[in-house]
Amino acid sequence: MSEALRFESATRRFGGLVAVNDCSFSVSSGELVGLVGPNGAGKSTLFNLATGYLAPSSGRVVVGEEDTTNVPPHELARKGLSRTFQTPVFFPELSALDNVLVAAHQELPLVSAITGAWKRESQHQEERARMLLRRVGLEQRASVDSAELSGGELRMLEVARQLFNQPSLLLLDEPTAGVAPHLQENLAELIRSVHEEGVAVIVVEHNLGFLLGLVDRVVCMAQGSVIADGTPTQIHDDPAVIAAYLGGPK
Amino acid sequence: MSAFVQLAALGIAQGAFLLMASLGFSLTRRVEGFLNIAHAQYLSVAAFVTYFLNNIAQIHFAIAAFAGVVAAVIVGFVVGKLVYEPIRHLGPAVSLITSVGVVYMLDGMIEIIVGTGSFLVTLPRVAPVRVGPVTITLYQVLVVVIAVVVTLATVRILNHTKIGTAIRITALDRYLGASRGVDVKKAGNASWLLSSAIAGVAGVALAVLGALTTHKGFDQILIILAVALLAGLGSVAALSISAMTIGVAREVSLLWLPAGFRDIIAFGIVILVLIFLPYGISGRVE
Amino acid sequence: MSPLLAAVITVGILIGIYGVVAIALNFQYGEAGLINFGVVAYFAIGAYTFAILTAGPPSETALDQYRWGFNLHPFLAALVAGLVGVIFSMISGWPALRLRGEYLALTTFAFAEVLQSSLVNVRAVTNGTSGFAGVVQPFRDAVGNYNLLILVAALALLLFTMWFFQRLVRSPYGRTLRAIKGDEVGVTASGKSPEKYRREAFFLSAFFIALAGVVFVIWLTLARPTSFGAEITFFVWIAMILGGEGNNWRVLAAISGLIIFDELIGALPLESVEAVQRVNAGQIFLTGLLFVLVLRWRTPRAGAI
Repeated sequence: MSEALRFESATRRFGGLVAVNDCSFSVSSGELVGLVGPNGAGKSTLFNLATGYLAPSSGRVVVGEEDTTNVPPHELARKGLSRTFQTPVFFPELSALDNVLVAAHQELPLVSAITGAWKRESQHQEERARMLLRRVGLEQRASVDSAELSGGELRMLEVARQLFNQPSLLLLDEPTAGVAPHLQENLAELIRSVHEEGVAVIVVEHNLGFLLGLVDRVVCMAQGSVIADGTPTQIHDDPAVIAAYLGGPK
Repeated sequence: MSAFVQLAALGIAQGAFLLMASLGFSLTRRVEGFLNIAHAQYLSVAAFVTYFLNNIAQIHFAIAAFAGVVAAVIVGFVVGKLVYEPIRHLGPAVSLITSVGVVYMLDGMIEIIVGTGSFLVTLPRVAPVRVGPVTITLYQVLVVVIAVVVTLATVRILNHTKIGTAIRITALDRYLGASRGVDVKKAGNASWLLSSAIAGVAGVALAVLGALTTHKGFDQILIILAVALLAGLGSVAALSISAMTIGVAREVSLLWLPAGFRDIIAFGIVILVLIFLPYGISGRVE
Repeated sequence: MSPLLAAVITVGILIGIYGVVAIALNFQYGEAGLINFGVVAYFAIGAYTFAILTAGPPSETALDQYRWGFNLHPFLAALVAGLVGVIFSMISGWPALRLRGEYLALTTFAFAEVLQSSLVNVRAVTNGTSGFAGVVQPFRDAVGNYNLLILVAALALLLFTMWFFQRLVRSPYGRTLRAIKGDEVGVTASGKSPEKYRREAFFLSAFFIALAGVVFVIWLTLARPTSFGAEITFFVWIAMILGGEGNNWRVLAAISGLIIFDELIGALPLESVEAVQRVNAGQIFLTGLLFVLVLRWRTPRAGAI
């Protein structure tokens, strides 16, 4: 199996604070990995390093075959690297359908926008967007202004948009945050089905329970470093992990 | 060589004026958080009130000048409270755009009252004085002296009075200051008054140093911007260096460049500073 | 021709010319969130480039200080004028577009002032304060009432400009622009670069504004530095804010209103030069007041970049 993502001694400093400290691990294409750790462990910073929103202070990040240092986030997104954010990112004033369609027409030259050449594809793009909305359970809400959607719906909408361009690697940053417990099973099912399509997925989660039964492998971070890497059960029982969470995983 | 020194001396007088013109502008930037393009108009108000009272109402210059400063203070304060404060929450860009409207209002008002044309404040004629290779007038010296006094007074107010401390805290972090019990409202009022007063004095200096036109105010704003941006959000000291540098550079450049290019230099400085030194020479982060 | 008809034609031409500038500005600000306070620069460049390119060789008199007479065909000159406008926007955009909000406003403003100053001082190219008189008017001899032809051209350009930007806004391109206003990070996560979109909006607007400048100079037959001051930028800005940025028709209505109001004031039978000045000053005051009031009570896009 080839490699989707690899951190090579990645370090990121903010002034005196070391948010990510000499992290090295890799994720193969097609893996479904959970990334856990207490607050401030550096999980989101690691995501930002992987997706180009931050550059490593030292070390590097390799996506596929390429070193991603200095590659801007939108270019990485085009190469098949997709992510969601802790607080769902969406575009108010745009309908749910339009929110997903923002990801469409990645290559749209100005000329095509004027001449209307884009219309040839637009039906196909719209069908695809509706299909994704159906998949995340939002097809009834397609024409609703996204500002009126609930937190859980916005999360699903964000995932739908990030799936539009068929990423090979999907990074989900605390996807259950703000999602009602009874909807979290839908989310887990969605992640499972995406994984079954061959997409490598990394899920950052506080909720270890959510990951048990979903992922095969869990990487645990604390204070910027990787402290454990194994199956969910192994992590659950790992003394270092327990210590990091101060009394037990939540 | 003597031409250089002469121009440099003129540059110092210009720099002194620029320092006063930019001091209030910079204060507004730091306390209220936006760039008040209309600041130059406060200078115009003071200058024209001085002209009007001195020339037309035949009132003694000193009183006319004082009235000019008071007029600037009133205008600056009223505009600050009625126009800028209610929209502060919309962000600095909106305040900047609004200040363009204020420019129109003030320019319009001044022109209605005074008309257009060129105006010269009649002052007692004083023979120019020769100091070494330099020929200067008493008024230029006076402007430098007043600038020093105003600047030192401002520094004293900001650093050694209660209200000055409140202003500085508000400039640094309005919300933190408010939560710590600083009377942010009072500090805001005081800063409007202070920056308008300094602008008023600068306006009087403008009236003294040369002929006035109704466009003179707006012409100044770009140079004021150059001075303020070069100094960044830093101290009065940074502003002084910036004002003197630009004042002298503009005059001395006459040795090599036609007069029209001076403005290009000022604008060029604004552009270069915005690209390479967004925090000005003081290097402070917003 | 009756004076009323002449006045109507003049108003129509002005609406056409300034309407194009306003629509282009509306796109830059309303759709792309760019605060461009140097709009008059592209207008001036369009006008001057056309004048310079269509001018004949300099005469021997002292008035003509410029160096080159290109004598280019008007249509070609117009196209080149538009392109030179774009080039200038690329030059000024390189530093300016890295900045946002008020700093973008100031940089674009500074560039426009530098340009106006250069128009006066770089005499070899621009002929200094005299500028270019007797600018070539294409098809002059073919038409009886030439201003009518200019009116048609100006309105045609206006309609084309509106159509063009409307097409853009209604396409996925426009959707992306709206998304950028909503959340830039989300747009980058979707594989698109907000910087690229802003740049394109900036350059595109410059093209149309330059073309408006070409029509302007053909109408006036005169290109002089004093015609291209910051007042033009702010006139169009005020119209856009009054109309409500984002809606082309309202912006057009606002600028038409301002132009008609201006012409009406100009037509007032005033006795003295002083009275004219006072009334003009009053107009300036009222415009400013209206601007401030509209900004205060019609909450503009808070967080406009």
